[in-house]
Amino acid sequence: MPMERPIIEVRHLRKEYPAADETVVALDGIDLAIPRGQICCVYGESGSGKSTLLNQLAGMEKPTRGGVRIGGTVISRLDERELAAFRQRHLGFVFQSYNLLPNLTAVENVAMPLMFRGVPKTQREKAARGMLRRVGLGKRLNHYPTQMSGGQQQRVGIARAFVARPQVVFADEPTGNLDSKTKIDVMEMIVSFARALDQTIVLVTHDDNMAAYADRVVTLLDGRIIDDRPVAAVPASTQGASR
Amino acid sequence: MRFADILRLCMQNLSRRKSRTVLTVLGVIVGCCSIVIMVSLGAGLTEQNKAMLKQMGDLTLINVYSQGSAGNAMMGGGSGSGSESGEGAKLDDAAVDSMKQIPGVVGASPQMPLNYAVRMSVDNGRYYTDYGIIEAVDMTQLSNMGYEILQGEKPTKPGEVLAGQYFAYQFMDKYRPEGSNYRQQPFDMGDGTVMQCDASGNCEAVPADQVEGAFFDQLGAEVTVSIDTGDGTASASGVSGGSSGASVAGATGSPDTGSSGTPAANTLELKVTGTLKEDYPKGSSTSSGLLMDLNQLKEFIAKADRSAKKTTTYDTALVKVADISQVADVEQQIRDMGFGTNSSEQTRKSLEEQSRIIQLVLGGIGAVSLLVAAIGITNTMVMSVTERTREIGIMKALGCYVRDIRIMFLGEAGFIGLLGGVIGCLISALVSLGINLLALGGVSGTNIWHAIVGGEDVSRVSVIPWWLYLFAIAFSTAIGVISGFQPANKAVRIPALDAIRNAQ
Repeated sequence: MPMERPIIEVRHLRKEYPAADETVVALDGIDLAIPRGQICCVYGESGSGKSTLLNQLAGMEKPTRGGVRIGGTVISRLDERELAAFRQRHLGFVFQSYNLLPNLTAVENVAMPLMFRGVPKTQREKAARGMLRRVGLGKRLNHYPTQMSGGQQQRVGIARAFVARPQVVFADEPTGNLDSKTKIDVMEMIVSFARALDQTIVLVTHDDNMAAYADRVVTLLDGRIIDDRPVAAVPASTQGASR
Repeated sequence: MRFADILRLCMQNLSRRKSRTVLTVLGVIVGCCSIVIMVSLGAGLTEQNKAMLKQMGDLTLINVYSQGSAGNAMMGGGSGSGSESGEGAKLDDAAVDSMKQIPGVVGASPQMPLNYAVRMSVDNGRYYTDYGIIEAVDMTQLSNMGYEILQGEKPTKPGEVLAGQYFAYQFMDKYRPEGSNYRQQPFDMGDGTVMQCDASGNCEAVPADQVEGAFFDQLGAEVTVSIDTGDGTASASGVSGGSSGASVAGATGSPDTGSSGTPAANTLELKVTGTLKEDYPKGSSTSSGLLMDLNQLKEFIAKADRSAKKTTTYDTALVKVADISQVADVEQQIRDMGFGTNSSEQTRKSLEEQSRIIQLVLGGIGAVSLLVAAIGITNTMVMSVTERTREIGIMKALGCYVRDIRIMFLGEAGFIGLLGGVIGCLISALVSLGINLLALGGVSGTNIWHAIVGGEDVSRVSVIPWWLYLFAIAFSTAIGVISGFQPANKAVRIPALDAIRNAQ
């Protein structure tokens, strides 16, 4: 591993939610460093705190204690506007339920992050078309999400996540709604994009098959990291990941 | 985000939910229409008032009266002292001269009636009236005062006078039978037609050029005037109007004073050189009487009525002001001199005030429906925010600025208002056209023209001034944007997290 500073650094991260009588501790003292270019899988059963961790990493919520630093920026200190600008420039997202805007075509959906940045329409749609061709949807550029299958929609989602060339892409159960054949396509696509541009992927999943695509698997249980190990370079088709 | 992109998103969102957008816009249309039409009715009222005032005559003429004569008779009780200022100031030539000095005054003249029973006859006594009206003003001020001469010209020689517009209609023809021996004076309706009635009271509106004229042409007519000075030496023709039948039985049969014998001291031969346009504030001489020079009238009275005192003060005077905006000010200054005044200004003001109140009330009624429309917009936008919670979350997660999301929602709400306003104005214009056409009586080229832009003699029921369109559109749009505030705030408060939570 190079001596470069990790792109994502998590220090003593604690997140509590107020409940009826007591406070629920969702994250309890997480320390994590992810170097540039790594594909890191955050694995855990539901309720383990993995989604909370992802929200923290993406700056969706403020931590109770501790903090997250991405590319040198402490994101928990950013205000709403700075955070939006930071997301535009540095972060990409792939969601389980695709989260495409239903009234926009595939091209428009993919071009959306660029639109938020203020890139002119012709320029951003050119980039979007290029991305869609790369995910194999060159013939569905002007289709609406409802006119596409789940796998196609998720490929649009991937194109959208990578179109702005973000440093970090967060993928939250990206294959959760897909059949096993499509799962493999989608995962390979994410990995190949990341490898091509030396992008860092944080993959949150409870599917240990998917963990096989990662360089490293961090396992959460009850808000703590209970396991953190690299994945041996084994073919994706075999059961490479372990707990 | 670029503004064009935000607008494009707005349009996409609105067209996605077509029926809801259409219904909401419909609400704004109704609201906008009701405001525009209500206000246009008020504006129509103002236009009708204007036309009415125009008929009332000269708006820049002030009638001045000395306190204690006309008008405020009660106030004149203690006015015998001859004090120069305050109540009971003398309305004499000097006072009229000082009125001429008031800034804004272009002409002033005393106004003096011939306060006797006046008998007039024309054409050797064939046409006669016992109720003649003669008023006198300073003829040098005639054009300054705004007297309008319809035909003929102003008098230049002694014995020449001007006649009122309907002067000749005052005369009866002694050779025609009872019932048809006079003609009713026509009434100008102000719209190009003239109302004319026959002797039995049947009236109809006819075009101005088809009016049945009087028995004789008053222009150039020679009128013999005689007055009853009440000293018992009146000539045979000195009939006092409305006196008991017995004493005048002989007199009525021979109204031929002017033709026989030497002229008595109480008769006067006058020649009409011009016809005046009827103008109520200038006195009845402009409609049914004769207008003569002040000094000539004074001479005649002095000659005819030995018992009369020499006239030095007048009951009334006329003051003409250059511009309508100065009327109130000049009136006040004349009042400060100790005189009473009267003008159309008060009427105009109160009419204006009245129509403003009516306009406000009507506009308020219209505003209620726009308020309802505003609630509709808010409702639509709140629904829309609720539906799009997830989308908003996605947009935020992908780095859309909160400001852009707010602008997007305000833009959608504002566009609903704008669209409703524009369509509402178009419909209002059609409705207004329809109302006016109905009032003008039927569809024709000129009627449509008059209904839209109005005209000299046209008073429309519904008038939409151009600023009303601008105002209505701006107001609807503003209402839309304001209605969008709360939903937009709701939208921007949606945490980005919700988009991701849905995935679990």
